[in-house]
Amino acid sequence: MTWIDFPLYSSIIIILWIIGLLFLVISYKKQSVFKIATAMFAIGWIVMMLFVVKLWLELDRPPMRTLGETRLWYATFLPLIGFVTYARWKYKWFLAYSFIMASMFLIINYLNPETYSKTLMPALQSPWFIPHVLVYLFSYAVLAASSIVAIKGWYDSYKGNFNIETLKLADNLVYIGFAFLTLGLLFGALWAKEAWGHYWTWDPKEVWAFLTWMGYLIYIHYRHFHMHNSKQALTILALAFVVLLVCWFGVNYLPVANTSVHTYTQY
Amino acid sequence: MSENNIKIQRGLWENPWGYVESFFIGIGLIVTGFFLEVFVASDKAFTMSYPFNIYFLVGYILVLFVLYKWFYTTQLIRWLTKVPASISSIVLVTLLVMIMGIIPQIPSQNNIINNLGLNHITSNWAFLLIIFQFLTCLGLISIKRILQFKWSNFGFILNHTGLFLALIAGILGTGDLQRLSLSVYENKANFIAIDENRNEVELPFAIYLKDFLIDEYNPKLALVDNKNGSIAHNDGKNLYLVEKGETYYFNNFEVKIDKFFPNAIRFGSRYEVVNEIGSPPAAKISVKNIENDSIQTAWISSGSFRYPYESLKISEDYSIVMTIPEVKKFSSDIDILTKQGDRISTVLEVNKPYKYNGWKIYQLSYDDKMGKWSNLSVIELVKDPWLPLTYIGIFMMISGAIYMFWMGNKITKNKE
Repeated sequence: MTWIDFPLYSSIIIILWIIGLLFLVISYKKQSVFKIATAMFAIGWIVMMLFVVKLWLELDRPPMRTLGETRLWYATFLPLIGFVTYARWKYKWFLAYSFIMASMFLIINYLNPETYSKTLMPALQSPWFIPHVLVYLFSYAVLAASSIVAIKGWYDSYKGNFNIETLKLADNLVYIGFAFLTLGLLFGALWAKEAWGHYWTWDPKEVWAFLTWMGYLIYIHYRHFHMHNSKQALTILALAFVVLLVCWFGVNYLPVANTSVHTYTQY
Repeated sequence: MSENNIKIQRGLWENPWGYVESFFIGIGLIVTGFFLEVFVASDKAFTMSYPFNIYFLVGYILVLFVLYKWFYTTQLIRWLTKVPASISSIVLVTLLVMIMGIIPQIPSQNNIINNLGLNHITSNWAFLLIIFQFLTCLGLISIKRILQFKWSNFGFILNHTGLFLALIAGILGTGDLQRLSLSVYENKANFIAIDENRNEVELPFAIYLKDFLIDEYNPKLALVDNKNGSIAHNDGKNLYLVEKGETYYFNNFEVKIDKFFPNAIRFGSRYEVVNEIGSPPAAKISVKNIENDSIQTAWISSGSFRYPYESLKISEDYSIVMTIPEVKKFSSDIDILTKQGDRISTVLEVNKPYKYNGWKIYQLSYDDKMGKWSNLSVIELVKDPWLPLTYIGIFMMISGAIYMFWMGNKITKNKE
């Protein structure tokens, strides 16, 4: 079992997941087919695990040395977090998101066979790498969703038919996203202690990750005590997302960029 | 009654203090801090080390406790445990950190940046004062919720107390944090390390380097532009690993790797495998131009500090080159020699530090000019006696985050 079998396995997995996604969409109209969707997702995931386990046995080391291998782990764990989040919060779109993202990582690997062997520098070869990136992937997705909700809220209040339920949905998404954001930040700190000798070094990416965290902290505290000032809350939410975007894409363009250990732009 | 009504009814500094007063105090602290920076600041950062940081921590927590317990009715303490004080301090800390995120924290030519100390925010008085207010709010509300414990506050306590502990241990711990680097050569021992200010520090033990090992990936093939020497395909990313028998396509060229030797030297018209210091990897490639079916065969090599590189010019515009191999892992086989005469053997590797007697010992770097023939290993030694407290804080926050994920935003739901 090697990467040679990957096209076969990934095709099977993706086909199963696409069928699952179709049933998921139908389930918005007809709840009963949702079980079929979950079954498809689950079978696809088992095939996925089969591939990972066999690859691991074949390589005789944890498959964690190349970019392609880390993508494989994203594709393995994204559905798992998706399921846990669905089990708790029943957001179907979130389940769909996790499977679409997972499929995307499989497709990237399928389309770029040469990146299976794209090498990973020693500091990145750590068991913390995958959880660190994964929780951030989720956190950013959920927080982005909360911003979409905020835009809807803005539009609604502009039209004069703002519903407080909209803001409550945003609240809940921010709580979930913020929990993941905290985990990402702290996993990063624990990893940094193992790899670079200190848990916090005010690296530019760390600074902006901290700022993002603080931005959503402001929102949470503000919402907690001023439940009726919805306009201000929406503004804070929008600003926090701007900081998040700076952290995600913008740091490399700031004057501080060249002092960062996070500048490998190749995820 | 909504807070707007309260605002209308009361004047500035009347009970209870709101946002205006909170920001007034917070900005006041920052301005005071900047005054201190301009007029009083010394070159040395303000840090506390053992035992003063312990005294400070114990004293601080006691004072917070006393203030909460017996002075709760005073204006100041009530204000510190209320939301306006928290939000204003979060906002102001965020603003100062944002300065850090924009202005590089390195020596600067700019007078404003230098005088206000904007290039060393973490030791800036403005930052220290506002973070002190932030911590005081955090500490007081932690004490408040712990003393009035309810299970429904469990997540709140984990998050707030965790952050308080992690932050205060991080800040007070800086004074006791030691980060040293130690250079050791193969078959030699060393106990004189260098600290961050390049002072020599004598270690209570010595480190003997038995062997330094580097594992490399195979080199990669790249198509370069002859005019400017830059990589001309895949945006300079995802180059192809050189492996015997592989065939790769660059634009309209088919490149086949006939032979590959990780260590080789040129003998006349070919490369031969040798086991010699500085012998670079080499490969025999055949390049077929798909347009006119012409084939060239040649040896290419990435070169090393001892031997030149060799590339193959395949057209007017392009050449095929072999990149310097990237490091897969590097490790040091060491003995720790204690004063008692013990000898502890271990292997250091990136991401796999070794703990010894309060020190964490890391593989840091090596002589990168020599690459895999380096007989120098640079080892980092870190002693952070405050780490356990930081970790308690971090793990409380991790539990708090999981709690938060699971419980969600229940307060809003219950109240409305």
